[in-house]
Amino acid sequence: MNEVWIRRINGLQLFIVGIIILIPIYWMVGSSFKPPADVTAYPPKFIFEPTLANYHDLFSTTPFFRYLLNSIIVAGGSTLLGLALGMPAAFVVSWSRVNWPAVLVLAARMAPGMIFLLPWYMMFREVGLIGSHISMVLAYSVITLPIAIWVLLPFFDQVPRSILEAAQVDGCNTLRVLWRVAIPMVMPGIVVTTILCFVFSWNYFLFALILSNGETKTLIAASFNFIGEGATNWGTLMAAATMIALPPLVLAGLMQRWLVSGLVVGAVKG
Amino acid sequence: MRRGFLLLCAPAVLFTLVMIAFPFGYGFWMSLQKFDFTGAPQFIGSANYLRLMDDPRFWTGMRVTILLYVISLVSQLIIGTYLAVLLHSSKGLRNLVRTVIISPFIMPPVVVGMTWLVLLDPSIGAANYVLTKVGLPPSEWLASPQWVVPTIAMIDTWQWSPYIALIVLGGLQSLPVSVYEAAQIDGAPRRAVFWRITLPLLMPTIATAAILRSVDLLRFFDIIYITTQGGPGNASATLNIYGFRMGFEFFEFGYASALVITLSTVVLGSVLALTRLRNAVTW
Repeated sequence: MNEVWIRRINGLQLFIVGIIILIPIYWMVGSSFKPPADVTAYPPKFIFEPTLANYHDLFSTTPFFRYLLNSIIVAGGSTLLGLALGMPAAFVVSWSRVNWPAVLVLAARMAPGMIFLLPWYMMFREVGLIGSHISMVLAYSVITLPIAIWVLLPFFDQVPRSILEAAQVDGCNTLRVLWRVAIPMVMPGIVVTTILCFVFSWNYFLFALILSNGETKTLIAASFNFIGEGATNWGTLMAAATMIALPPLVLAGLMQRWLVSGLVVGAVKG
Repeated sequence: MRRGFLLLCAPAVLFTLVMIAFPFGYGFWMSLQKFDFTGAPQFIGSANYLRLMDDPRFWTGMRVTILLYVISLVSQLIIGTYLAVLLHSSKGLRNLVRTVIISPFIMPPVVVGMTWLVLLDPSIGAANYVLTKVGLPPSEWLASPQWVVPTIAMIDTWQWSPYIALIVLGGLQSLPVSVYEAAQIDGAPRRAVFWRITLPLLMPTIATAAILRSVDLLRFFDIIYITTQGGPGNASATLNIYGFRMGFEFFEFGYASALVITLSTVVLGSVLALTRLRNAVTW
């Protein structure tokens, strides 16, 4: 077998894998545009007249936009808090080569979320914060903080020490070295970190399921209700699924080159 | 200098203490109490843990958790490595391929569960339509007590194999070129190069991927909660699902805490075992 044929066979296999990856995503998006009668048709309809009826249904019969706003508040807030706490921590870990804060945070990331959820439930109930945005932003920062620290670490590691030390000699205190020198140099890393924090916070289900109430329910927590309501209406269910998956998918499409490095960070180096 | 460091680390450490360390301690304390909605917590020592050992649903949960873990992990490692080798030989990741590869695991697992729920519907789902078209009997998928765990493993494998592929691809790209040149000079056949050189050299990377996935797989929750809630019967009730129900449906906080802490021990044990394994295969 010569090289050309091997390359063709590889290309074919890659194409097939691509199709397998895309079919469920296509089915989700496709079904969301199907006329209600066609969604549950059997045999399944592959060709149909696209319609916005399901989206109209979703927006008019559920408080979709309130859920969306809650999702943005919780994912956005926890991203900001994770970065605010994680940036200085990652900087210090990178500079001082003292690893334990990062390891500690990672250990927290490995514990099942349920282990925190019961105590948080008690804690937040005690101070009257159950169902508040504040409690959810705090809870979701437990997701974003480890991502922030571990994704930013290698970026800070690449900043030449000489530059930081020079800034110190010039009379900058540690905070100023971080703010004026180190952060501008790791801007690409901060962009990647922000997106990863946002996506993983947006996607995380368990905490919102318990800590939110009717007013503060996020899209991801509401999706369970969509299933109950959507039992007879798959089109609306798939419209909801498409809307929830859209922000991560769009960010992934725009930033893929950068995200890949962030996603596999630490994995290859061990 | 030291003061500056402490100052910068303080917010993250304070957050960790309040939101992680204290709840963890509180959870452990709860696991030693008789603590439910009926009254004040009452210290009962290790009774909750002893009750676990006699609870058949705990052992069902353990069996489901381990079964799901093994099936999912093995299939994702094999498919992910295969995909990585394929991507590596296709000379680099073009943008389109990269976007396609990322999309399954960048989507919320909840959405993935919703989509497969529709695809795998036993009576009108597209999956059974395809099966009957090619002459195979239709499956009950998530509604079958026998097939529900393999089906959930399949969904998770669809979602996470690409992630493993990306990690292994990173490992492939950092392998020493000199070894391959030597193999080429010696005229080693392609197959032998893969099994005797590439795969052993990749083992540390694959082990790392296994550790990362183990943490998520042992506390499997989202897709199950969305699709079956642990059913049919308890056929897909992992320990995490059982713990959730104990805590937030039956409000047995003490017992649920003991269950979740036991699960954490299982997670920690597997991570430590896999780390040892990784150190053993590191070159």
